[in-house]
Amino acid sequence: MAAANIVRSALSGFLRKSSTYKTPVVCRLSTVALQQKITSVNYAIKTYNSLNHQNGVATLRTQRYYCATQPKPGQKEIEGRVLKVCKAYDKLKCSQVHTLFYFCTILFQNLYVSARNYSGGAPITLELLKSRVLLVLQLYDKINPEKLSLESHFINDLGLDSLDHVEVIMAMEDEFGFEIPDVDAERLLRPKDIVQYIADKEDVYE
Amino acid sequence: MSQPHRRSVLNLYKTLLYLGREWPQGYDLFRKRLHKVFTKNSEETNPEKIKMMIKHGEFVGKEIEALYKLKKYRAMKRST
Repeated sequence: MAAANIVRSALSGFLRKSSTYKTPVVCRLSTVALQQKITSVNYAIKTYNSLNHQNGVATLRTQRYYCATQPKPGQKEIEGRVLKVCKAYDKLKCSQVHTLFYFCTILFQNLYVSARNYSGGAPITLELLKSRVLLVLQLYDKINPEKLSLESHFINDLGLDSLDHVEVIMAMEDEFGFEIPDVDAERLLRPKDIVQYIADKEDVYE
Repeated sequence: MSQPHRRSVLNLYKTLLYLGREWPQGYDLFRKRLHKVFTKNSEETNPEKIKMMIKHGEFVGKEIEALYKLKKYRAMKRST
């Protein structure tokens, strides 16, 4: 069972990698295959975008750390290479070239994402923690965002029942990537408590 | 007011929610229905009955698992 799990995780890791590596390859494509490949590039970009923008805190989380050994092609260079390929292909119209130009900029951004991050991510501050907790709560459909503050009580002020409270705790587990035991979850009745609890777990101090 | 089964009921709710993430008609629908069912029986005070309901909930969880397995099996069969 454990061996099967390892194999599966290795396979999924491989698949994920291949989809991100597909994007830089487009510059070197033969001209005939170009149009078919545009769709695949489009797909790769879409999966990348959906990965990063699942919840609105994408900009907070994907701070990019560049790998020093990887050569970085400039944006001009990428644009030049893509346009050269496009010009060589006679069936492309002018309007299509325009959309391709748009791809260039996305490609430029995606090239750096394919580098793996070996550092643990940006350090969490107390302010960031507060804003992330509040954001998750605002996105939850049963909470009125106007009533919400760090001090408001989930059950007394916001009108949730204990089942909704379980859902809130689940959302927090998803957001911060660790499990909150039921015993602790019972005590987290205000957003402030949640912030304090996560700060203790992640070793964040003022 | 002591509620001896409170923790196990909440635990069951959480487990079922996790199972419902891949519900074919969407997670939102599953969540709403589950919430409705749980609130419907929230007035129950007889411990024996609550125990029976928890048993039933666990059984439903097993059913959901079986449903996913069946769905996966059918999808695999169709693709080959």
